[in-house]
Amino acid sequence: MPKKINMKTAAGSVIYPTLFGAAVIISWQTGFLHKLLKTDEYVLPYPTKILHIMHENSDKIMLNVQASVKVALLGLLLGSLIGYFIAIIATVFPKYGSGGLTIVSAFNAIPIVALAPVFINWTKDVSEEAEVRSMVAKVLVVTVTSMAAMSVNAYRGLTELPPFSDDLMKTYAAGKVTEFFKLCLPNSLPYIFTALRVSVPGSVIGALVSEYFAEYIIGVGRQIRENILIAQYATAWAYIITACIIGIAMYIVLMIVETIALRKRK
Amino acid sequence: MRKLRNTLAIIAAMAIVSTAFAGCGSSESNSSGASADISSAETDGDRIIAAAQAGKVGNWGLGNEYEILALLTKYGQKTEYLSQSFDMDGFDDGSITLASAMTYNELGLVKNSYEGGYGYGDNVGIIDMNDEGVAMLEDNLFCTKEFAQNNPNTVKAFISASMKGWEYACQNPEEAAQIVFEAGSSVSSEHQAYMASEVKKLVETDTDGNAVNEYGKMDEEAMQQTLDLAKQYISLDDSSAASKLQNLTLDDIRDTSYWTDAISGNFGAPEKSSVSIQLKWLPQCQFMGYYVAKAKGYYDEVGLSVDIVSGGGDIGETTAVNNGTVDFGVTWVSNLISANSGGMDLLEIAQVYQRSGLVLVYKK
Amino acid sequence: MKKIKRILTSKIFVTLIWIVALIVVWELFAFHVEQTKRTPENIQPHLSGIVDSLTSSRKINGSQTALQMVMENAKATLSRAGIGYIIGIAAGSVLALFMSLSGVIEKLAFPYLMLIQLIPILGMAPIINAITGDIAKSRIIIAAILTFYPVAANTLAGFKAVQKEKYELMYSYAANKFQLYTKTMIPACIPYFFTGLKISAPMAITASILVDTLQGGIGLGCLLSQSLKGAMTRYVFWDIVFFSAVIGILSFYLMGVLETILCPYKRIGKKE
Repeated sequence: MPKKINMKTAAGSVIYPTLFGAAVIISWQTGFLHKLLKTDEYVLPYPTKILHIMHENSDKIMLNVQASVKVALLGLLLGSLIGYFIAIIATVFPKYGSGGLTIVSAFNAIPIVALAPVFINWTKDVSEEAEVRSMVAKVLVVTVTSMAAMSVNAYRGLTELPPFSDDLMKTYAAGKVTEFFKLCLPNSLPYIFTALRVSVPGSVIGALVSEYFAEYIIGVGRQIRENILIAQYATAWAYIITACIIGIAMYIVLMIVETIALRKRK
Repeated sequence: MRKLRNTLAIIAAMAIVSTAFAGCGSSESNSSGASADISSAETDGDRIIAAAQAGKVGNWGLGNEYEILALLTKYGQKTEYLSQSFDMDGFDDGSITLASAMTYNELGLVKNSYEGGYGYGDNVGIIDMNDEGVAMLEDNLFCTKEFAQNNPNTVKAFISASMKGWEYACQNPEEAAQIVFEAGSSVSSEHQAYMASEVKKLVETDTDGNAVNEYGKMDEEAMQQTLDLAKQYISLDDSSAASKLQNLTLDDIRDTSYWTDAISGNFGAPEKSSVSIQLKWLPQCQFMGYYVAKAKGYYDEVGLSVDIVSGGGDIGETTAVNNGTVDFGVTWVSNLISANSGGMDLLEIAQVYQRSGLVLVYKK
Repeated sequence: MKKIKRILTSKIFVTLIWIVALIVVWELFAFHVEQTKRTPENIQPHLSGIVDSLTSSRKINGSQTALQMVMENAKATLSRAGIGYIIGIAAGSVLALFMSLSGVIEKLAFPYLMLIQLIPILGMAPIINAITGDIAKSRIIIAAILTFYPVAANTLAGFKAVQKEKYELMYSYAANKFQLYTKTMIPACIPYFFTGLKISAPMAITASILVDTLQGGIGLGCLLSQSLKGAMTRYVFWDIVFFSAVIGILSFYLMGVLETILCPYKRIGKKE
């Protein structure tokens, strides 16, 4: 009985959204969506046209995708590591650490549009090569944006332990270090994924926005902006769709990793 | 013991903060070898080649780069440039040795030492796009074809009053600067005054350096050169737009009849009396004619009430005009060309700037 | 001695230490930049310079000082952010309610809810602008869209987190759906709802600033990009960076305060 229900729900969670998506795309292609939104096929080009452009320029798009993904992943990795490190410090030294956490999460309140040009200026002297220093600046933007989510969540994971587990560790006469490695670290694992669910989409957006300002001209974000400014909406849409695909792909990878990593726990 | 721990905590936290900010200010000493090359170059051609090969030519991109691409091609260089931010810091710190500047804006900031200026004075050399033969026309006045057809008198009245504004502004640049400043521009009044005097030159001189006394005239030859260069250097990923671009003629992008009628006063009462115009950039003397026309009541005289919308954001003036958010717009001819290639139906109705205002600047 | 220790470890003192540390780091770099750059204010100005720019009575445009200008534009941006925020909260919580009521709606909407946060919103902005035909409206709508996801996702998580026992208890009371929701589900999801509010409050503000940069007019983002483009002193840019950071943090705490005032569980929690 329960197995049957599971099958049904699983099928449902694929079929319903697919049907919905198909309905949207069909109404888009047939122009019904344009009527509904009172817009024209210029600002909102037909899906076939967008796909056609994506197909035509697949090499160029791939080049830009590589650049953007590199920025997003590097920044995400660096930001998450630093964020987690801050959380550990905050756990070990609770008094000063939590104050630090507040400061770090404050970075999140600064708009990326303001952050990006500042970082570009700060990294001017990093390298003679514009490509390198732009890369550093972009990665830093993503780092800062993904740092906050990780540090706050990881801190909760390291400190919000299951009831009595702390006491249990004490009865085992486990030292602080043992307790940290055997209890706190594993406990924080699901929280890491909670943080990543926020920072993975954030890192893509951060990468796109920082590309707007970077000196070295490359990236999906730059292409979106350039094409919108020279009024090439169909091409801009091709890159917007590409950006969405990057985000979705990264999110799916995260989901798979999460399922594997957390499987043992249940 | 606890104290020690706390101190350690602070040190560790500061270390983190500084890692996060790593890069700002590291390795200060690297001097640029390429900038030495450009300063030793004798001619403009040598300077362009030296900067291009060092990868240190700068432009803002985003539709402002075509003249630079044409120039690089002229000297047989790869059409690559660095994305320049909207200040001149890149030029100042040497990461860009040949930087783009508009004569009326960035050039003034580089030369002068008023607020926001870099004070290089006469130590700045310029390479003028008009002299190099790669000039493309910039600030114009446009609307959609549909709007022009449905509201011919409004269009003519608007051109007429605006050109009167331009004429007055060019004859009284200092007063025009003051008007723009009072209209809410936050550009400093000194820079505003500089801008007015430089814009005057662009409005009253053609690409060959001859005087133009008809404000807003669409010069056939300069327009054709702009279109030809646009066809060569605007690259569009959308193949249907790209082929449309190649087939564009002047008649697809401009109509001189509105301007001719407007100048001779040959128009009736406007069909639509409340109109708006979106500028290409922030409120500044680049657009002084419209501010003057408004302040001096020229729009009222022809029965128009005009709302001036500043630009400079990511929603370009072509888009705003095309979707009807505003009625008129100021853009560069090249931007109008790419918009029409992409499927918009825009029409230039007057050409305010008669020569290119883009120059490349270098340190002498 | 004990007293000193207490002060040393008090929360305010700790925060103070942190702020001082940050100021020191900032100023160290500012000194460095000042020595090596011709236009230090473009890269990293001294904090004193930023404070000066706010307190100075010099007029930046025809009529306003920097502070007046920032405040006037902040009012526009924050009110747009506020309206968008409220619309986003309303839409997000209603959707979450529907999703929890109907499995079909949940399955239908959830993947697309996720998708929303993956869409580069700046790219979408011109399209939204084209649809609404009004930049002010599109600014509000975009703030609403960005608020929408965290509120909906967190509220839904709240509905789901209701303990099975409670659910079954209500069931055994023969409670109908309305009673079930008003007595159990909604009170249980309030903390989650507030988590959503706290996350999205700064987001609504940053989104509003981001969208401001799309077109001229009044707003912090317009001012920010104008300052970056050299239309006015660069200090205005720094004023806005700091102002938006402070407002963002305040909005987060404001939601926390609101939660404490509105929700009994928070007050009880505090006492323990």
